[in-house]
Formats: sequence, C-alpha cells, structure tokens
Amino acid sequence: MLEPAAVRLDAVATGRDDAIRQCGEALLAVGAIDSSYVDSMIQRERSISTYVGEGVAIPHGTLDGKESVRRDALSFVRFPDGVDWDGNLVQVCIGIAAKGDGHIGILSSLARILMDPAQAKTLRETNDAEAVIELLAPVGEDEDE
Amino acid sequence: MTERTVTIASRTGLHARPARLFVEAAAALPVPVSVRLDGGKPVPANSILGVLSLGAAHGAAVTLAAEGPGAEEAVATLADLLSRDLDEA
Repeated sequence: MLEPAAVRLDAVATGRDDAIRQCGEALLAVGAIDSSYVDSMIQRERSISTYVGEGVAIPHGTLDGKESVRRDALSFVRFPDGVDWDGNLVQVCIGIAAKGDGHIGILSSLARILMDPAQAKTLRETNDAEAVIELLAPVGEDEDE
Repeated sequence: MTERTVTIASRTGLHARPARLFVEAAAALPVPVSVRLDGGKPVPANSILGVLSLGAAHGAAVTLAAEGPGAEEAVATLADLLSRDLDEA
C-alpha cells in the first residue's frame, strides 16, 4: 500500500493545508488518485480533524472524494520541524486513499500500529524509508473489502 | 458493571466524524467507558486510536461497558450516539 515513491522524510510545510496538499501530491505521484482528491482531503480536514495523537495526522478524502481514488494507497510525509495542526504539533502525516469500504480496514490496522508508542516514535524519528514501509506493511493487508 | 450492545448506525462505520464525535462525547463523561467488538479486546471509548482500531463497520455490534456511579447514564449516552447516523450529509 505504501510505495517508496510516496515516502517523504524531510518535508517542510507552511501550515496544515499545505501539509495535506503534500500528502495528496505523494498519493498522486504513485497514481493512486486523481488530483481532485487532494481538495477533498482538505475539505474533510476542515469539517473534522484527522489528528489522532502521537504527533500523527491521517488526512483522507470525503465520501464524495472516493470517485477520485484509483486504488487503495498510503503516503507518508514527515515534517521534522512539525506543523501546527489546530493547536497540535504534527510531525507525521499519513495520507490515505481508499475505494469503497476499504477505509475501515485501513484505519483499523493503522490505528493498531500507532497505538504502540514505540512504533509511533519510530515513524516520527527514523531516517530509514524502508523501516517506515515495513512498519506500515500490515495496513490493509489482513482485511478483505 | 453496566453493559450495552449496540449496532453502528453511521453508514460509513465508526471512523472520521462519527468516531470523533463519539470520542469527544466519551471524554466529556464523568466515568470511563470501554468499547469492544464481539469477543474483541476492550479499548477506552475516549481514545481516537482505540476507537479506530476496532474497525467497526456500519451494522457491526459493539459493546459499551462502564462501572460505578453514573455508569448507566454514561453507557446510555454513548449507546444513543452510536444508534444514530453521525455522518456528514
């Protein structure tokens, strides 16, 4: 679900919306979405925050945005200096593209990984893209649609 | 121990907006409430990661549980929330 081309470990953002846009662009770079999905991700965030704690946000599109999803995928964008996310400091943004009901299984497996503080710390701190990909490998794997 | 099993009414399941509203409501309660899927491990109802980890789809049955004074009301408040469609639009 997470391809090397969708991993950015050293990004800088001017703010929340810019960070989301970069997450969306990483999904676009691997051909998982049409560009209109990016706007739908920002729209979702304005309606409800995707900040989940541990310095992590998981931006994804609205229900309407699903039409712009070509296949299930993740992007991983890290902001070592952090991004102000409505008062929270976000260092890791995991962008999600999901077709149909795929989001339930994706969010569930992603949440289980982030609930382990050591794994969340690795995601915030490692400089090894392979380690990120490996850690997030279970996401979406054990679920059928 | 007060327990109640409810079916997730939100059509996209318990994530995003429904999960956020649920967690906020749980955090505002005077007693801790746990939530679990059938046979699953209970997670704190006020933890967004915990609630997302359930992967509770539309129509899934979840069990709310709490103990002590106020438990019954707390469980009823959250049960009521889950039996409504909390999705946008």
